[in-house]
Amino acid sequence: GAHTKMASPKTVPKDAQVMMQILKDMGITEYEPRVINQMLEFTYRYVTTIIEDAKIYSTHAKKSTVDADDIRLAIQCRVDQSFISPPPRDFLLDIARQKNQTPLPLIKPYTGPRLPPDRYCLTAPNYRLKSLQKKVSSSAGRITVPRLSVGAVSSRPSTPTLGTPSVQTVGTKVGTPVSLTGQRFTVQIPSSQAASVKSATPTTPTVQNVLINPSLIGSKNILITTNMVSQNSSGDSTSLKRKHEDEDDYDAL
Amino acid sequence: MTPLLSAPGKMAAVQDGPMELDTEKETKPEILSDGTSKLSGNAASGTLSSSPLTAGGAPKQEDQQTLIAVLQFLRRNKLSESVEILRREAGLEDQEDSQTLDGSGGGKGDRDGGEANSLLSRVSITSAAAPQSTLTPITVKRANEQLDVSVVLSAYSQQGDPSLYQVYYSGLKNFIESVLDCHRAELSQLFYPLFVHMYLELVYNNHENEAKAFFEKFGGDQECYYQDDLRVLCGLTKKEHLKGNEVLLDFRTSRFVLRISRDSYQLLKRHLQERHNNQIWNIIQEHLYIDIFDGMPRSKSQIDSMSGSFAGEARREVNKVKVFHGLLKEPEIEVPLDDEEDEAENEEGKPKKKKTKKDSMGSKSKKQDPNAPQQNRIPLPELKDSDKLDKIMYMKESTKRIRLGPENLPSICFYSFLNAYQGLTAVDFTDDSSLLAGGFADSTVRIWSVTPKKLRKVKSAGELNLIDKESDDVLERIMDEKTASESKILCGHSGPVYSVSFSPDRNYLLSSSEDGTVRLWSLQTFTCLVGYKGHNYPVWDTHFSPFGYYFVSGGHDRVARLWATDHYQPLRIFAGHLADVTCTRFHPNSNYVATGSTDRTIRLWDVLNGNCVRIFTGHKGPVHSLAFSPNGKFLASGSTDGRVLLWDIGHGLMIGELKGHTDTIYALKFSRDGEILASGSMDNTVRLWDSTKAFDDVETDDFTAATGHIHLPDNSQELLLGTYHSKSTPVTHLHFTRRNLLLAAGGYSSQ
Repeated sequence: GAHTKMASPKTVPKDAQVMMQILKDMGITEYEPRVINQMLEFTYRYVTTIIEDAKIYSTHAKKSTVDADDIRLAIQCRVDQSFISPPPRDFLLDIARQKNQTPLPLIKPYTGPRLPPDRYCLTAPNYRLKSLQKKVSSSAGRITVPRLSVGAVSSRPSTPTLGTPSVQTVGTKVGTPVSLTGQRFTVQIPSSQAASVKSATPTTPTVQNVLINPSLIGSKNILITTNMVSQNSSGDSTSLKRKHEDEDDYDAL
Repeated sequence: MTPLLSAPGKMAAVQDGPMELDTEKETKPEILSDGTSKLSGNAASGTLSSSPLTAGGAPKQEDQQTLIAVLQFLRRNKLSESVEILRREAGLEDQEDSQTLDGSGGGKGDRDGGEANSLLSRVSITSAAAPQSTLTPITVKRANEQLDVSVVLSAYSQQGDPSLYQVYYSGLKNFIESVLDCHRAELSQLFYPLFVHMYLELVYNNHENEAKAFFEKFGGDQECYYQDDLRVLCGLTKKEHLKGNEVLLDFRTSRFVLRISRDSYQLLKRHLQERHNNQIWNIIQEHLYIDIFDGMPRSKSQIDSMSGSFAGEARREVNKVKVFHGLLKEPEIEVPLDDEEDEAENEEGKPKKKKTKKDSMGSKSKKQDPNAPQQNRIPLPELKDSDKLDKIMYMKESTKRIRLGPENLPSICFYSFLNAYQGLTAVDFTDDSSLLAGGFADSTVRIWSVTPKKLRKVKSAGELNLIDKESDDVLERIMDEKTASESKILCGHSGPVYSVSFSPDRNYLLSSSEDGTVRLWSLQTFTCLVGYKGHNYPVWDTHFSPFGYYFVSGGHDRVARLWATDHYQPLRIFAGHLADVTCTRFHPNSNYVATGSTDRTIRLWDVLNGNCVRIFTGHKGPVHSLAFSPNGKFLASGSTDGRVLLWDIGHGLMIGELKGHTDTIYALKFSRDGEILASGSMDNTVRLWDSTKAFDDVETDDFTAATGHIHLPDNSQELLLGTYHSKSTPVTHLHFTRRNLLLAAGGYSSQ
């Protein structure tokens, strides 16, 4: 706890004594002993940084020693990075005056949760996974179905599947080592990443795609096709976006 | 008009007057590090631009000043031909003059031309002082705020003789001690601001030793409640220290307000104008604002109760704006006695329906309360069906409410957070006391269900697809039973969470953190919906409006911001505090926001236009807690000095002081009907105060309302109804349930 005995002043190094004195001068009487160590560490780091910077400036100016001007310059340059202080008061008063002049916007009648436009929210999915099963996720909400099947199910009946599709929640990169000799695989790149590539190859509507790390697989065995995701899924992707009746941009504010 | 001749020891300097002036002007906007600033009566550098004017006697000196001021004025208004003509005629042919003038003129930033007249008048007044201080007209900074920091600081370039500062100050001290008792208390208010300003001037002009000596001699004399500030000041000995310190810069630019009665003021003015060195008078005119009132001088205790803030007290006019502190009319909702679902809303003015029980919460009279704002003064969200159901529940619960009073104290239920390791930084309860949220120093927010009902989140999309949407209990079916739990953790912030606030409809939770953002979390899915970025510095407090939709946040950047959940930028910025905003609360009618700050003041802001309508001074330490009384008329505030102060919003006055706590008060809450005020503090106690009695005792006759002086009865002991100690758990939050049971929360710390 915070009230463990402080080290007696005689046994601490001089720097720590200075720190203790500083705390005492500022009127701080209760503090954890680790605070001294933190202050020492900070001091050491800060002074070292400044002196190193000053050395660089002085060598740049082709001086033989580091003098006070170099130090001053070093401090000046660092102060904007480390010790940023809030904006000055008159600036704040100014922007406040500007902001406060616009009248409060009227509130539209209830149309669902009152949230800012989508791109200012954290509600968008940041990944998309598609399952290999027939079920198409008709996401009414914004939550995607994190299902993934390992294995290739393709429209070609001659291609053997790799076991039964197993449902796992895995990311788009599948690193599972599989013994692939003598098998042909169809790897289909998810269309959300290759949306611009339209392939003529039709696929069954429910085929979902898995991106397999090509290094695991001998190149002979792979036939890579890029296929458009079915209509349904693309319909889904637009339905994933929350519709606003009016302009998404409230930038006029 | 020219007592210059009588200024002691300066006769010799008059000869070199113009030259010194030029020196001054040239070096003024630059860093005064080369010592040319030391002008204590010597002809310092005759090497600089020599004025063609023959160094004459006093009259020439003044004319020179006037001419220079006029030239500046003309130059600024781009009347270059007139400038040429004037210069030629006045014989100021020297090119360097224009350069120095430009340097000084440019360094001063923007000032409107009208000031030249005031400049000229000041020249005539201050010419009585030593020649160095005749420079004040050019260097003085007026009411227009300068954006350049060096210009802001350059107002300190007024030079008196540094070694004489102590003499001036002691002179004033002797004078004040010699006046009548009744005036002495008022005039003693001058000591602190004068001391600080003189000290800062010495530091700015690099008179480090004199500054230290000055501080040592007079620092101990100041009032005890300024000791913290003085400690900070003590560490500032160099000019570079001043530059980064926003608080001190603000102190310098905002005028310290003093309230002095007319008689005392006359005394002071007469004394200072008699003397030849008007240093102190200059400082008073530049940096202090003396709010003169007619009437009896105030006593020491009255002054002490109102002082303590960074900028002195508040001017009376500030607190005269009309504030609509009444409550909004509750929509009349019929309580279905027979469980019939027919609800109707009566707008005000329509006759009430007789058959159902009336809403006892709504006001009885149909006339508009003159103190209440219009219903549509600010846009408010309309009531949804679920809100109406909530209101019905509310009314039912309130019928079972216990009436509290001095004879009938509430029971207190304390929720201790175990294993928080001092990391509990914020707590909030929902209004119906069903959920409890805690914000922690490890940047998580945890939500607990206080009732036996577990927390459930909405099912994922795939599962939602499978349920029967037509069934009656669809709202139950969308909830996921598998992951139901007593508590949920919300991760997302990247710094300690300093404040949490539930929305009134229990759909959202707000949390504000050291990472500068305020996050909105959904309590249906327990995920983060929005991150509101605006403060780039720790956000100390946030609070939802009592009607939802709006929320306010306040932080280290000294402003409070008003947001709406569907705007990614703030709607209002409340700027005016001199230091961090530590506490923000909405008024029950949602039209006003109260903010408490580290500058020891509390300000009340109007949501409609962002104006500050009240400033309350009196605390001697940072204000950490605020509570509005349920009827909207009063405000209670608690701070690090352990006192709870009570304020009358309508009149803008302090009406009560509750002493008893020994440490910072972080929690304040009024009971549901406003009869009891509960306060919780770091000293591990909860205290209950009789607020009905405290507010009844208010005497507001016209005089006090006009001058703002209330004599506070020292009745803290009578008002204290009970002190309840916890076992080494500081109290972080207090909440009265709808039935007036008091809930308290804090993190158990084992030492």
